[in-house]
This record gives sequence, structure tokens and C-alpha cells, in this order.
Amino acid sequence: MSTPTTFWRLAGMSYLQYVNKASAVVVNALKEPAKSQALARMEYSFNKSVWEAGTQGKKVPMKGA
Amino acid sequence: VELVTHNMYERRRLACRMPMQKWMINVRVCIYISMLVYMYVHCSLSPVSPVSLVHRLIVIHTAVAVAQAALHLTTQNRMMMLSRSVLSASSRRLAVKAFMSTEAGAAGTMTLNFNLPHESVYSGAQVKQVIVPGAEGEFGVTADHVPLVAQLKAGVLQIIHEEGSEPEKYFVPGGFSLTHENSTTDISCPNAVKLDDIDSAAVTSGFEAAKAAYASAEAGSVAQAEAQIDIDVNRALGNAIGLSLV
Repeated sequence: MSTPTTFWRLAGMSYLQYVNKASAVVVNALKEPAKSQALARMEYSFNKSVWEAGTQGKKVPMKGA
Repeated sequence: VELVTHNMYERRRLACRMPMQKWMINVRVCIYISMLVYMYVHCSLSPVSPVSLVHRLIVIHTAVAVAQAALHLTTQNRMMMLSRSVLSASSRRLAVKAFMSTEAGAAGTMTLNFNLPHESVYSGAQVKQVIVPGAEGEFGVTADHVPLVAQLKAGVLQIIHEEGSEPEKYFVPGGFSLTHENSTTDISCPNAVKLDDIDSAAVTSGFEAAKAAYASAEAGSVAQAEAQIDIDVNRALGNAIGLSLV
């Protein structure tokens, strides 16, 4: 392609998605103690609560990403 | 004034394409000197009072100014028109100062701020040189480097703390490097690993798996782009630890 941009931009990825994917590839290539420490840093989760009539309901951890 | 070199006068003379322009830069000096010579010769041949001498000096200065104005109008050369300001030493110093940092640390060191999201590896450290894996090529940064913003590619970042010491190496998947006027460089990366922590078997198997994923992915899709990223980063990892993955 002769468009002046990167392959990941053409596929619809943003720079953040690109660099985070590259970072994940590096983490997968690590040796053991460093790898589990890096994977632990990359974990994330969400809590969810429903608002009703101006008051916040109970926060519940969401399953999956 | 946009030309900024240490020897701007020389640069401008060499840059003049027409031969006539080359000597025209000196014409103001030539006119002035020839007028002075004329005045001296004329005065020595005929006795004249000091008041008349001053009068002649004023006439000479006016003539030189008029001649220079005529030159500006006729040559239409932007560089010629800027000659007076460009030649003045103070503006040259200002222009040089705009691009040259004068705040290098003791013994020519630079300040390095190397930050990750979860950790600040170096904050305000005085180092000799940093070799940065830029997306368009690897480059080195020392004290008094010209200001620069560079996107990084997956590669090895080397930090040389003192003259002649072994570089401290980190593998970074990407990020940005910003060099400022005051010999400070900020490098931000999402991650940085020591080369000893890289597992060569994992790199080789990851590379092979990525090639297979690339072949089986649909052209132009996100899956293919991610496989391409996988291939590129694994190849860079291999280069960093001495493998040669093709």
C-alpha cells in the first residue's frame, strides 16, 4: 500500500492498542519470576453498581473483561 | 532570522548562487573604504577645515546608506536584505542560543528521566549518553543535543552512565523519547525489561506461532495486524539476545 501510514492504523488499531500489544508480546517472552510479576501488573477488573433515584446501588465485581 | 549556524556569514556567502551576489555582500564595506580613501586623498591635496571634514563624513555615511538601500531594492534577495541583522553579532548569538543548549551538567553529562507506567527507572539521573531505538533508526543523545521528539520501536535502549563504561541495556516494546533544550531527555515506555530476563525458547516459539497466525489471518484485519506486531517484536527480541529469526 502506498498510503503514508502504518499497517496497524490501516487495520483500525490505535497507537495505544498497538503499543500495548507489543508490550504483551514482550511479557510473554520473559523468564519466570519477571513474567509472573509483569502479568500480575497487567491484571484489571471492573466493579459495577446501578444508580436508582439518585442513590448508588451496591458495587458488584463484573466477570470477564 | 532563520539561519542558525556558528558561521552564518560564511554559510550565506557560499549559499549565494549568482557570482555577483558573493561580492555584493562586501559592497557596503567596499563603498565605505573607497569613500574614506577618496576623502583622505582629497583632504591631503587641498587644505580643509575640520568642520568641512565632518560634513564630508556625514555625506559619505548618507551615500553608503542610500547605496545599500538601492542594493536591497534591486537584488530581491531575502538573504541579502537580512544581511545587516544577520551579520550583527548579537542577533547571531541569539539565533545560536535558540538551538544550542547551554545548561549541560558537570563534565558534559545530560539529565535522563526514564519512566514506565508502574515505575520510574531514572528520575533526574546524570548520564553521559543514551542510545535510543527510534522508529526511523537508532540514534544517540548526549549533552547539548538538539531538541528532538522521536517515536520508539521495539528495541534495546542503552544508557551509558560514564565515559567508557558498559552500557546498561533495557529492551523496550515502544514509547517516546523527548529531548529538550536544557540537555534533559524524557523517555516514556509502556514496559522495559532487562535482557537477562528474556527467554530465548519463548521468543523462538512465539515467532513461529506468529508467522502461522499471520498466514491464516484475513488480509487487512486486526488479527493480521496483531500477528505482524508479534512477528516484529519477537524478531527484535531475538536480535537483542543474539538470535537471528527470519
